[in-house]
Amino acid sequence: MTEIRDPIGFELFKNAIFSIADEMALTVFRTTYSGVLKDNMDYSTGFADAEGRLVAQGLTLPGHLGSVPTAMQSIMRHFRDDMQPGDVFIMNDPFDGGMHLPDIFVLKPLFHEGKRLAFACTVCHHTDVGGRVAGSNASDSTEIYAEGLRIAPMKMYEAGKINKTLMTFIEKNVRLPVKVFGDLRAQLAACHIAEKQFAELVAKYGAEQTAAYMRETIDYAERLTRAALEKLPDGVWSFEDWIDDDGVDYGKPIRLFVTIRKQGGHMVVDWTGTHPQVKGAINNTLSFTKAAAYTGVRSVLPQGIPNNEGVFRAIEVICPPGTVGNGVLPAACAARGLTGFRMTDCMFGALAMMLPDKVKAAGDGGNTGVSIGGYDAERKPFIYVDFTCGAWGARPWADGLDGNSHMFANMASHSIEVTEAEQPIEFLAYEFVPDKAGAGKYRGGVPFRRDYKFLEEEAILQVRSDRRTHRPFGLYGGNPGMPSENYLNPDGENRVLPSKFTMTIRRGDVFRHVLAGAGGWGDPLERDPAAVLRDVRNELLSAAKASLDYGIVIVNKELDLTATTKKRAEIRAARGWTEVPAVQREDPIPQTRKAA
Amino acid sequence: MTTYRVGVDVGGTFTDIVLLGDDGSIHTKKISSSVENYAQAIVDGLAEVFRETGLRGDAIAELRHGTTVASNAILEHKGAKTGLITTKGFRDVLEIRTLRMPRMYDIGWTKPAPLVERYLRQVVDERIDAHGNVERGLDPRDAERAVDTLLAEKVEAIAVCLLHSYANPAHEKIIRDLIRAKAPGVACSVSCEVLPEIKEYERTSTTVVNAYVMPIVASYLKALRKGLDEAGVPARLLLMQSNGGLTTDAAAVERPMHIIESGPAGGVVGAQALARAKDLARIITFDMGGTTAKASIVEDGHVTRAQEYSVGAGIMIGSRLLTGAGYTLKVPAIDLAEVGAGGGSLVWIDPAGALQIGPESAGASPGPVCYDQGGETPTVTDANLLLGYINPRHLVGGALKLNAEKTKRVFAHKIAAPLGMPLEKAAHGAHLIAASNMIRAIKAVSTERGRDPREFALFAFGGNGPVFACGMAAALGMKRIVVPPSAGLFSSFGLLYADVEHHYARTLRRLLRKSDRLEIERAWDELANQAIEQLAAEGFGPDKRKIRRAAALHYHGQTYELTVPVPEGALDLAYLEEAFAREHERTYGHRAGADEPVELVSIQVVGQGVRTGPSVPERVRASRAEPTPPAPRLAYFGSWIETPVLRRSDLAKPRSGPLIVEEYDATCVVPPGARAELDAAGNIVIELN
Repeated sequence: MTEIRDPIGFELFKNAIFSIADEMALTVFRTTYSGVLKDNMDYSTGFADAEGRLVAQGLTLPGHLGSVPTAMQSIMRHFRDDMQPGDVFIMNDPFDGGMHLPDIFVLKPLFHEGKRLAFACTVCHHTDVGGRVAGSNASDSTEIYAEGLRIAPMKMYEAGKINKTLMTFIEKNVRLPVKVFGDLRAQLAACHIAEKQFAELVAKYGAEQTAAYMRETIDYAERLTRAALEKLPDGVWSFEDWIDDDGVDYGKPIRLFVTIRKQGGHMVVDWTGTHPQVKGAINNTLSFTKAAAYTGVRSVLPQGIPNNEGVFRAIEVICPPGTVGNGVLPAACAARGLTGFRMTDCMFGALAMMLPDKVKAAGDGGNTGVSIGGYDAERKPFIYVDFTCGAWGARPWADGLDGNSHMFANMASHSIEVTEAEQPIEFLAYEFVPDKAGAGKYRGGVPFRRDYKFLEEEAILQVRSDRRTHRPFGLYGGNPGMPSENYLNPDGENRVLPSKFTMTIRRGDVFRHVLAGAGGWGDPLERDPAAVLRDVRNELLSAAKASLDYGIVIVNKELDLTATTKKRAEIRAARGWTEVPAVQREDPIPQTRKAA
Repeated sequence: MTTYRVGVDVGGTFTDIVLLGDDGSIHTKKISSSVENYAQAIVDGLAEVFRETGLRGDAIAELRHGTTVASNAILEHKGAKTGLITTKGFRDVLEIRTLRMPRMYDIGWTKPAPLVERYLRQVVDERIDAHGNVERGLDPRDAERAVDTLLAEKVEAIAVCLLHSYANPAHEKIIRDLIRAKAPGVACSVSCEVLPEIKEYERTSTTVVNAYVMPIVASYLKALRKGLDEAGVPARLLLMQSNGGLTTDAAAVERPMHIIESGPAGGVVGAQALARAKDLARIITFDMGGTTAKASIVEDGHVTRAQEYSVGAGIMIGSRLLTGAGYTLKVPAIDLAEVGAGGGSLVWIDPAGALQIGPESAGASPGPVCYDQGGETPTVTDANLLLGYINPRHLVGGALKLNAEKTKRVFAHKIAAPLGMPLEKAAHGAHLIAASNMIRAIKAVSTERGRDPREFALFAFGGNGPVFACGMAAALGMKRIVVPPSAGLFSSFGLLYADVEHHYARTLRRLLRKSDRLEIERAWDELANQAIEQLAAEGFGPDKRKIRRAAALHYHGQTYELTVPVPEGALDLAYLEEAFAREHERTYGHRAGADEPVELVSIQVVGQGVRTGPSVPERVRASRAEPTPPAPRLAYFGSWIETPVLRRSDLAKPRSGPLIVEEYDATCVVPPGARAELDAAGNIVIELN
């Protein structure tokens, strides 16, 4: 299937343009101030053509896969005929091209001899953009107006001249202007690098050929995507899952529902049936919902397909406005990361129905957000924001990963020692918790706990977690993982806290978060006994739980074969399967839950 | 009597030996590596050289060695059974790592297995805070229980890494003394000695890697010493470190973490020395072999070093952000960007019709189609053959016969026909795309760090480097290319240029503006004294030691640092602040406002043992007679041109391209319009228009 007219020239161009997008990403990485960008890699860079169509996305947060096209459409809507060299656009409005307020877009049109040829695009998650809670990540705001500074698409620079009014306005409305401006500078530096290198490219190929190659790059990705989709079975598959609640209407589950319709080289991902938008701040923009769909599909397509508009042409995403997957004014959306993670997991569920041997069970549910903010004795603000997750669902061929970021946000953790050197926080524990992973022929990933001890006078602690009442599902006979847990002062009053909350903490208070265990894959009775013994020796699984879930009886650190055979027969009888359940959300035999 | 220095580079396939006499004579030997016992190949290879030349063991003054023994032990999980003692509550720091994975949408990702399994990770109930205050004291009985548990499991090595030990090493030292007293035969690696720096994961991982390879490196060096003694070679043994400096065998046994990436360092150090001799202020080194290509940068005579890297991370284009593969080591190493492109890289067409190169490689077996050893997929070497760049009949001085007809047939069928283009156009396309992949490695060390490659000379070596160098330089706007002598064996040759060096660092976090100058100086002096003691023990007198200082700094709030050299004499904090801002501007294109405080993060010291006299003669003479060059042949440079094929010595007078220089270990292609000539040191120097 050779359709490229000039395959060698094209490949050379493609190498060059993706190398520019990657270099933009590296520039942000190197120059940024905030750990959110550096360690969580919560930013993306991209390159669009003159009409704002995404040509190349740099190394990126998967959750941002749908972001640049939406942002570009907004800029084109407002400024199509009002752009000149030296302009730089800024925007963070979720209802006009953005995602949530901390994600600030900085975009620069690139010109050649007065004619617009391309756009350099960056989006970074900023540490704070004002609003009622430090970090601007509150999950319990009920309208966008409480969440911080909302920047409509506007010019940050006009013909090279900075918009001082705007910058002053930003400076006065965020808690840490030095960090915000430091990160905006990093974004500008990335645009600057892109502009310089793109000019070299145009000098080499000429404006017309460059434009033709950019179109070709998009078509190329589309062809690769369609060719890969052709190889998947045709049909319709659905999956549903629930978020526990939105942290405002406690105990009211939020349904996610997806239908995949696949025919030849085209796929429709339809979220019709998903819960109406909620009061709590977990409403997605459509761009984020798209990203969840793309991430799921990409994980079953071959590696190496470039990220651009061409991929999105082959994968159509539908989500009705006014739902939790496509919020409309005044939806609060600061903490919508949760919904993005869970929609990705829901996609995995649907894809597992389509391709039973290719897809993993549910992981811990995506990252838990913990923010601790306040003022020290000298009234200087401190903000600590941590996003953490780590347990992958089991795969049809291997255990889930222990201590690995969710695929939707490939973040790194902050160093404990650096955090303790900079923040009024001491960690008491950061380690795996046994007996929480879902059993299976391949078990789910083992979750960890983090215990935070607070060392200042007073602060607001805000937590966004989930998977408390709706456990990570297991697949094809695998057990679900155990639920997440939150406690205040576990070695004292040991108060159980809800999955989402905002509260005041004081000096010496300890907050413990335990991630949910990940779901298993396949019948636990088929698990290799050696693997069970290894988990027991490594204290990731107790002997009692080995017997309960796997029917493996251990005496003096060795397998008791007779007792095991008997125990397994008992389990088989008790669960009484006529066929292996495709999805399990509760244990096949009810257990009494044991706290960590 | 002529005395010789020997450079030995042991790779997975070949052991390369270079003997260089103080009269400038040079002998080379390439023999198969003895995988079961790497030391044996060295001893056997030397014996062969002695037989061929009549030299005796006592003519060898020094043996310098680059080895993959340590990295192989890690890659193959064949290191020591290792235990870890760490702070209660933090048992899984080693295994949780940083949570990040190196591949974006890979549902099949497997995390590297921890080098210490969980049951061998023991915790002790103690706690030190970020300022070094003891919050909870260590009960010696608890420490003893942890040590005893590990010894009962029969571990061969123990790593110790407690939280904040860089700020207060007291508890780690108690445990260390216990281990030494109870089990003197067990290797012991303690984080406050190995890496007194902040960041628990990096420190734990480094300390563990060190412990894991200590026993294996010790027994290897012991076997090598014994073999050399038996062969009548009393010369002292020096090992190449990942940072480009040499260390003694005794020091390497204690800190094997420094010799893990010993292999590729030799070539860069050799390039550095030759560039210094030529007064070339800025070079980019380009080393291309059979499976990978590596680039690095030498500025003002200094190699650039990364402060952290991963062993066994594999090679991925554009992966510099995507960490998580391999095993993290926070020790200085020559900063190399590596891409999976070599002579053996496969040429293929993707489902959308684009021509692709690699990253899969035909490897040594079956190898390229032209080797005629069963390879049926065209490779970069096959493309080079079709273009007339490499000898169509044989390589390595005739030792390897090639089948050009088969290459033509397979390349035409699998590549040219589907692309609908003539054979030479398709082959030229493959050559250019391979070059553009490798250009990404060069950009990674230059433009991505604010350096303009046009201001650099390209220093090309490795068997395939000089084939591609001119084309890549032209694409990057670079004007000058240097191809050193023995380009194909340059990794071992380069060993001969290195100096003894020891690197030390420790965390010292404070805002420069609020710092006590004298306190920082004192800390620096302590590190310098460690370096001086080490060098003195190795026989370097006061006038033979050089101490360099450097500081790692960032703007307060940033999470990564830049390193700047610190001049001798009294410390000037204002100067340091300005030097950092300048480096920040140079690397990132901007600096922060003057009111943004600069924070010192760690201090570093490099102790160098200065050698007497020049390390290498100004000009080397190959002992191997140059073969008669073959007749001119057609080579493709956009059109077919009859191209002369020369020996290196034919360039004593300048010649204009096109021309091809064929040597025992490498081939150099000079395109039309370029001029090439030999310089005084025996380098081929090519100028592009």
